[in-house]
Amino acid sequence: MIGQDFNNWELAEAYVANKLSASELANLHKRLSSETDFASDFNECVSMLLSLDQSKKQRQFRNMLVHIHHENETNASNWRVRTIPLRTHYLRTGAIAAGIAILTTISTFSIISHNEKKRSSQYSLLRRELETIKRSQSALIKNINETATTPVTPANYSGTGVALSNDGYFVTNYHVVAGADSIYIQRKDGHYYKAVLSTFDEKSDVAIIKVEDKNFKIGKGELPYRFATTKNPLGSKVFTLGYPQDEIVYNEGYISAKNGYLGDSLQYRLELPASPGQSGAPVTDNNGNIIALVTGKESESEGTTYAVGAKAIVKLISNSDLSLRLPQSNKLGKMSREQQIQSMEQYTCSVKVYKK
Amino acid sequence: MYNPIDTEASLLAGLAQGNRKATEAIYKQHIRPIKSWIGQHGGDEDDVADIFQEAMVVLYEKAQKDDFRLSCKIGTYLFAICKHLWYKKLQKDQKAPDILSTDAGLDEGKDWAYEDDLNAHTERETHYQLLHDAMEQLGEPCSSLLKAFYHNDKSMQEIAAEFGYTNPDNAKTQKYKCLTRLRKIFYVAKAKW
Repeated sequence: MIGQDFNNWELAEAYVANKLSASELANLHKRLSSETDFASDFNECVSMLLSLDQSKKQRQFRNMLVHIHHENETNASNWRVRTIPLRTHYLRTGAIAAGIAILTTISTFSIISHNEKKRSSQYSLLRRELETIKRSQSALIKNINETATTPVTPANYSGTGVALSNDGYFVTNYHVVAGADSIYIQRKDGHYYKAVLSTFDEKSDVAIIKVEDKNFKIGKGELPYRFATTKNPLGSKVFTLGYPQDEIVYNEGYISAKNGYLGDSLQYRLELPASPGQSGAPVTDNNGNIIALVTGKESESEGTTYAVGAKAIVKLISNSDLSLRLPQSNKLGKMSREQQIQSMEQYTCSVKVYKK
Repeated sequence: MYNPIDTEASLLAGLAQGNRKATEAIYKQHIRPIKSWIGQHGGDEDDVADIFQEAMVVLYEKAQKDDFRLSCKIGTYLFAICKHLWYKKLQKDQKAPDILSTDAGLDEGKDWAYEDDLNAHTERETHYQLLHDAMEQLGEPCSSLLKAFYHNDKSMQEIAAEFGYTNPDNAKTQKYKCLTRLRKIFYVAKAKW
């Protein structure tokens, strides 16, 4: 039976390969028509062999296709050469488009920057130029008393600063102390103290200065006010103490917008009269929290002032490595305004800056 | 004199025999429009290679038949097949459900006349796959022996030497044994399928 089986395979193989002679073929056909068992077995063999054959051919064909494909891929450079005319065709259009784009960019930029200039001219910093101002009486007096620590020539600029701690840290605007050769603070009583720039952030316009004298103490114990880290609501009544002149000056107003100049979210916009010399002046709310520092004003409308929020100060300190702990308690809350001012006066001082 | 019909007919005849020159000529001539079309329809270079290869196989298998006759140009046929295959692939990947029925036949009006060819192709591929699977299930030495003969084109002498048979006739007997087993497995699998 098994032998029979193999004979059938052999026969089928020869049949598929077309190797049977005419007489063998005739014999085969005769058997196929007479022996049904043989016929079905033989046909299965043939179809099996044909399938194997075909699948082999197809496999070879696929291999060939893959080969052709790879060859074409490696010759792809020829294709790219052909695409060049298309590119040059678009070159002119592209060049024109690019030209228009550049022109638009430049003109837009120039218009915007022109506007910027116009805008920045509306903003003036509130440091005071002192060249034309005569030295004050108090300075003169102090000059006699404390010649050693008193600057000989009048300051070029002045601003206002407020104490951050009891041991000589003050905060003011960066634009007040920028480029300074020497910085002095002058307290309300007229005393001068030499200070150095500790750290600053130009963007938010905040600078921290430190009195050089290690024994310097501004008051007894903790400072009576604290620095607010959250923004006060619109309309909050605020007041400020500053040195637009050699005497401390009080002003009051309210928060008119929660964002400052050109939408600067670090700043407040205030309706509060301010004049040169008040840069860095503390802006305090009714409860005695310092909420901001006066930094600038709108030059075209009187009374609009911009102040950088106290958050910027806190941020600057936390980003620096100063060993500086801000006062946490507020002792001004229940005081009357006059008492608050009296207390604040002690800690607010004039910042005088000398440049060559 | 240049006669496109003659050229196409001779190309197809060459293709049917697996002639490399003819195949390459067809490949180079027709891949470009398909490349750009598939490119426009969300396929990449690899997709183009796969789809076009499959279409070429369809054409090749079709050309094998004795009654083979192409009712249109090779390019038209390949393009239609490629489109169909691509839509099918998209549908399978669920990128574009049902795109086949709506926009498929628009171009030539008879693109899907080749549906039969593709169905035959799918059936054939399944058939080959079953055959392949059956061969894998054979076990040794049958699997290796049949592969050597049917995949790697080795002669019975080579196989006898490689598999340690004393003469080609023994190898042949072994081959028939294997074929008998393969046939059994294959028909069982086919009946199940």
